[in-house]
Amino acid sequence: MIIKRIYKSSWFVKVVFVVSLFAIIFIAGLGYKHITNLSKSTEMVIHTYKVNVELEQILSYLKDSETGQRGYIITQDSLYLKPFIEGRKKVNNSFAELKYLTSDNPEQQKNLKELSSLIDKRLDNLEIASNYAANDQTDLTRFKDVFQEGKNYMGAIRNKLNYMISIENDLLKKRKEEYVSDARFTPVFLYSLILLTLVLMYAAYAKINSNLEKLKKSNQQLEIFKESTNQSEIINKHGSWRWNVEEDSFYFSDNLFRLLGEEPGSFAQTIENFMKFVHPEDVEKLSSQVDEMKENKDLPFIVYRVIHKSGDTRYLKAYGKSTVNSEGITQLLGTTTDITDEIDHYNTLEKRNQELELNNKELQAFNYVASHDLQEPLRKIQTFLSRLEDREQDNFSESGKKYVERINNAASRMRLLIDDLLQYSRTNKSDEILKNSDINKLLEDAQQDLAEVIVAKNATITTVKIPEMKVIPFQIQQLFGNLIGNSLKYSAKDRNPIIAISYDKVEASDDQQLSKALYDEYHRITISDNGIGFEQEYAEKIFTLFNRLHNKDEYSGTGIGLSICKKIVDNHSGFIFAKGEPNIGAVFSIYLPLV
Amino acid sequence: MATDYTHIILADDDEDDRMFFTDAFDELKMTVKVTTYNDGVYLMDYLNQEDAILPNILFLDLNMPRKSGMECLKEIKENSRFKDVVIAIYSTSASEEDIENTFIKGANIYIKKPSDFKVLKKVLSNVVTTNWQYHTNGLNKDNFLLRL
Repeated sequence: MIIKRIYKSSWFVKVVFVVSLFAIIFIAGLGYKHITNLSKSTEMVIHTYKVNVELEQILSYLKDSETGQRGYIITQDSLYLKPFIEGRKKVNNSFAELKYLTSDNPEQQKNLKELSSLIDKRLDNLEIASNYAANDQTDLTRFKDVFQEGKNYMGAIRNKLNYMISIENDLLKKRKEEYVSDARFTPVFLYSLILLTLVLMYAAYAKINSNLEKLKKSNQQLEIFKESTNQSEIINKHGSWRWNVEEDSFYFSDNLFRLLGEEPGSFAQTIENFMKFVHPEDVEKLSSQVDEMKENKDLPFIVYRVIHKSGDTRYLKAYGKSTVNSEGITQLLGTTTDITDEIDHYNTLEKRNQELELNNKELQAFNYVASHDLQEPLRKIQTFLSRLEDREQDNFSESGKKYVERINNAASRMRLLIDDLLQYSRTNKSDEILKNSDINKLLEDAQQDLAEVIVAKNATITTVKIPEMKVIPFQIQQLFGNLIGNSLKYSAKDRNPIIAISYDKVEASDDQQLSKALYDEYHRITISDNGIGFEQEYAEKIFTLFNRLHNKDEYSGTGIGLSICKKIVDNHSGFIFAKGEPNIGAVFSIYLPLV
Repeated sequence: MATDYTHIILADDDEDDRMFFTDAFDELKMTVKVTTYNDGVYLMDYLNQEDAILPNILFLDLNMPRKSGMECLKEIKENSRFKDVVIAIYSTSASEEDIENTFIKGANIYIKKPSDFKVLKKVLSNVVTTNWQYHTNGLNKDNFLLRL
């Protein structure tokens, strides 16, 4: 896991290269040291041999001297003295050489000193012996002693020399061992180090390779992304741009050119060239906002117009935001959208709204006509009729009286229709404000309005306590008035009307009828009666305008009352449902949202 | 100045309504003197004469050509000379808006023209016999519209 993580991390390659670099430097150093060691070892061997040669030389000179001396002693010929004299000189030369060669070895120096004194003694002894020989005193015991002494010295010198040679040989042996171990160990170490470096380098290579692969993939993705961005710019009618404020350089996306009605890349990407397309009336506004953008580096939404070469005027909306890229360069990234369609739609909508407003005004004017101008002639007809009935009653024939009565009925009905229609059209949501209202009071007032009929029909109305609700008070009062009025109007002829008003709170999810409910909880007020009822199949139809279930000779009515109820309940985002059973009664349920 | 009869003026552009109005008073046999004007301009021309005999009760139709009842009401209420004149609005419509506006402007009562002559007589006799001194003190929006 950890290895994987290290391998994946971006600094892995760098670390590998640093490690490899050090390894190579180390290898080079080690190789250099090894070669230096090798040449040193060689030097040492040569050195040892030189020392040994010189030591042997000394012995041989001494022997030469000894031989010369003996020749002289035997022959008394001074010719034999020559090697003896030269021998001494040569020994001194060798000694100087040895002294130099063993300058790094204190033990050998000490030995050399001892050797030197021994050789001096030996040479002195030789000289003494020669002197004895020159004076022909060789038969003396003294001479024999000296001779003997010389032999002893020689033995000591030989021992010393052997000892010294053995020391040098030991040294040589030791150095040889060192060299061999060096020579054995170093290549293995170097070889494994090189192998390790190679492995590391390979890992780094693999890593670089995989990084390259990833980069390639990312590049491909970027390419795809760029293409899809291009497509989305085309489909959404927007273009993007970048502005390096410091260098004052621009980049326009392909579609930005198209937004200006141009082919991509058809002109140099500069603010001046862009401004050439801007509507003359908008140039100043846009320029000042561009300047502002330079300072604030954040562009608010700007809307301006551009004119295409074809003469089309398009509305563009732009937004920009300053960003700092990975190289620390501040640039503004912006998006420009063609909102001509939106503006067109908005204008169309605005026009429709105005038309609608006009329609509403016309409707209001119609309301006024209906309320005033239509009522006026009708009222006069009715007044004249009342005068006729009052004053000319006796002058009419039977059929004349009947006609007057019929005219009267027709006029009354027309008044009812006009009044109801007016009420219906006034029951608009308009700007009526919902306010907390005492529903019990509204219900009471509604009953008050119907007091005469209630008494006349001998009706019993039972109510319960209903909580406060947020409603348009006069509309709710009218709703109650219409529903109670309906119950009274459609009462059964054989029994006194009983109207029961009840209340409860319901969850929208618990009531099948509230499947389209927008709220969770509803107030439910039900008004049930024992009147003539209706067939359940008409339960929905009765709320539509001018819909009547009965002949107007049986029950007077305009078919507007329940439509008004429905409209009022709609205004309150509520529901009204009817349930009927012929000759048993009707139940009206009002649902008002609990807000 | 004669004070044994009530002086009543009606301004209404509708000939039939003026006729119903005078006929009603004729049949009521009250001690009233009824004068009618055909629109607001005629009415104000008369009232603005210095020697004009001011009515006790002025019935104003709202919807009249040249000068509407609302304009007359405004002018009358701005002139302290007419402060004792009881103003009854006498209109076909009884829209909330009209009732509200005339109440605010200072009219004393709002009558919706009835469609039954018997009712008209009853309404007019009611208005004439009302003690306006007393009624005006207790005037509020609820009893402003005359209901019978």
